Amino acid sequence: MLNLINTSFDNCLKCTVCTTRCPVAEANPDYPGPKQAGPDGERLRIKNPQLYDEALKHCTNCKRCEVACPSGVHVGTVIQLAKARHGGFKKGPREFMLSHTDLMGSLSSPAAPIVNAMTKLKPVKKLLDKTLGIDQRRTFPKYTGETFRSWFNKQSGTQASFQRQISFFHGCFTNFNDPTVGKDLVAVLNAMNIGVSLLKKEKCCGVPLIANGFFNKARKNAELNMSQFAHSLTKTECVIATEPSCAMTLRDEYPEVLEVDNSAVKDRIFFAAAFIAREFARGNLPDMKPVPLRVAYHSPCHLIKAGGVIYTMELLNSIPGLEVIMLDQKCCGLSGTYGFKKENYRTSQSIGQGIFDQIEALDVDYVVTDCQSCKMQVEMNTDRTVLHPLTLLAQSLT
Amino acid sequence: MKYNSIIIGGGLAGLTSAIRCAEAGLKTALISAGDSALTFASGSIDVLGFRQNNALVDYPFEAISQLPDGHPYRKLGADQVRQSLNFFTGQMAQAGIEMSCHGQQNHSRLTALGAMRPAWLSQPGAKPLSLAEPAAGLRRVAIINIAGCRDFQPALLAAGLKKHTDFAGVELTIGDIRADTISLTARNVYELRSLEIARLLKRDLFSRPEGLTTLASAINKAAGNADLVVLPSVLAVENGNQLIHQLEAHTGLRLCELATLPPSLPGMRMASALRQRYRQLGGLLLEGDEVVSGNFDNDRLLSITTRLNPSMPLTADHFVLATGSFFSRGLDSNPSSLTDKTFNLDVVTAGQRQHWSNQHFLNGSQHPFCYFGIETNDHFNPYQEGQVIGNLYCAGAVLGGFNPVAEASAGGVAISTGWLAAKQITAQYSDVRGNHVESH
Repeated sequence: MLNLINTSFDNCLKCTVCTTRCPVAEANPDYPGPKQAGPDGERLRIKNPQLYDEALKHCTNCKRCEVACPSGVHVGTVIQLAKARHGGFKKGPREFMLSHTDLMGSLSSPAAPIVNAMTKLKPVKKLLDKTLGIDQRRTFPKYTGETFRSWFNKQSGTQASFQRQISFFHGCFTNFNDPTVGKDLVAVLNAMNIGVSLLKKEKCCGVPLIANGFFNKARKNAELNMSQFAHSLTKTECVIATEPSCAMTLRDEYPEVLEVDNSAVKDRIFFAAAFIAREFARGNLPDMKPVPLRVAYHSPCHLIKAGGVIYTMELLNSIPGLEVIMLDQKCCGLSGTYGFKKENYRTSQSIGQGIFDQIEALDVDYVVTDCQSCKMQVEMNTDRTVLHPLTLLAQSLT
Repeated sequence: MKYNSIIIGGGLAGLTSAIRCAEAGLKTALISAGDSALTFASGSIDVLGFRQNNALVDYPFEAISQLPDGHPYRKLGADQVRQSLNFFTGQMAQAGIEMSCHGQQNHSRLTALGAMRPAWLSQPGAKPLSLAEPAAGLRRVAIINIAGCRDFQPALLAAGLKKHTDFAGVELTIGDIRADTISLTARNVYELRSLEIARLLKRDLFSRPEGLTTLASAINKAAGNADLVVLPSVLAVENGNQLIHQLEAHTGLRLCELATLPPSLPGMRMASALRQRYRQLGGLLLEGDEVVSGNFDNDRLLSITTRLNPSMPLTADHFVLATGSFFSRGLDSNPSSLTDKTFNLDVVTAGQRQHWSNQHFLNGSQHPFCYFGIETNDHFNPYQEGQVIGNLYCAGAVLGGFNPVAEASAGGVAISTGWLAAKQITAQYSDVRGNHVESH
């Protein structure tokens, strides 16, 4: 049987670099760090599943260990798969609620004003804290009354008039919570003479499902999304996503974590900034007016992992008059659903403190980041408003 | 997307090169496939420590002229090597670490096994000793461990020190600081690595107003009135040198911080100082991606493609290859040949596989494979099938023609060749733009 097991973790040299870069190990001594939780532990777990360590639950799946690893070991993936294999995920109602973002969105969005008002109320927060274990100190994301898809449908005719077409994977947050980034993307691409079309159907990419152990559901979503991509790519150039975690999951995690083959379309899945930067490089540059702002850029973990920071910086630097200060490449600590859980609140806040302090010390107009989860965390913990790079790009359009 | 310079490799050579390019105002990107060997390094910089006959080198810059032809230092010359190291100390100082040296002379740094290694620059916490008389002025040395630190063995250090005739008359004592006396509350202190101790101390001890004095009195108690107190480097990740200094003021003792088994805190400190400096200069750091191929046109490298973004090549006027040696995966070997993994450039190698190494790993004679690496011209441009690539420079351990371990020259070669690559690149910009961008 042994030869059927993936032993690529054996490339680990035991250098401990991964642990030096792990934000959780730094903030929480109960977590033994990615080396021990990943490759070291995997040897033991193969020998005897009883040796599974409960401390693995502390991993946020930020993937910084993989970015740091000089030997190319997929440390974070080893940990996620071990948790799945050994029942290391708690899958209670809280985990279901936090991870089924598209289901929660379609339930909440039609009643957005009521839901938003409710989730702001202290007694409601206290109740969620007591009954579900969702920390009452968290600010909850708001829902939008008009989903991105319903906004988009009103102008699908305009979009169809463009000769060039791309497919947009909007993700749950843009659709149900805040459609701003989606609208900005449409504006930017239209200014570059490219029309946007949506997939006929789209399911959550799977990031929160993987992080909470709902692998089967994530795999089902992945299969649906892939069949939609195949269909849509017959008529459009590529699929792009504005959310770094979505882009990383669709392109890299489907085969690596969920074992869903995406090889036929993989090279045509892009992070939005990467696609736009390539267009810019080819000379397809919209007219831009100066945006005289001083902003601090925070790079999200999953964007670093997917190699996308270079494109976002390229876009920001192309906006005339914009001064960009790059923050230290540290984790903000929220990690999607992780920081919402009561038992993780302290760790989450402690991880992010470095970034919050750095932002407060800088005299900037806005913070910029690509990730909606990072945005929530930074806005909750600093005085600054956080913008998506595409919002600034849309502002610079003449 | 177009850059002035793209540096491949995030270690000492790559960072030095990248910092110099960024400081000169060039649009610079640095690609690093995982953390570099700096994380395991001592935190000292050796320039040249041993001659070919294994004799110690007193004055490293003077000894450069006696090195064999083809050695990277011979292509640079002593003056440029010295300038590059001055540049490096300046950059480290700007990032908050004042490296110390004994004028033009080498010093000895102590290792955790009690060996002496020659070096030219050390972090202040390392307490450099005299090269000729390392034990001068020492009557009693106290070796203190934090109980539970599994990365440091005081008895091994003591045994190693006793082998030096210089230390024959020095009394060596061994002491422990118990975890509970310095408020460490870990699940099992005997599992702790140096990094974990540093993090726990930050949380449990130094967060308290009396934290520093608590540690100082524990050191006093364990060390008595020794002339030198040796501690494993477990106290702090950032600002370790400042902490040692404060502890010296509190204890009235001379404290020496020794790098432990990997990860090494002094090495991590150096790496993060350099990365921070590069970022402040506006450089772009791309971590966790690696170059998979280069697009060459005759004698020029036009662009590179990376594993994470294979369909979007990155273009630059100049490139620096600083991917390291075998350990850092810059060089690769198979039973019959040796290759540069990134671009398949021409490498210096010697004969058949059986002649690559000596039969005995540690018999004191040098292994030929240590000299293997990329072959370059006097400007550190490599060859591809005999053709010089004019806008590509090689730097650091990926170069052939020197033996970093036997000569104790790894740090100096990395810094000086990385510096020279950037010097040549920035000089070309002053030509093109007609204005001088050089600052050093």
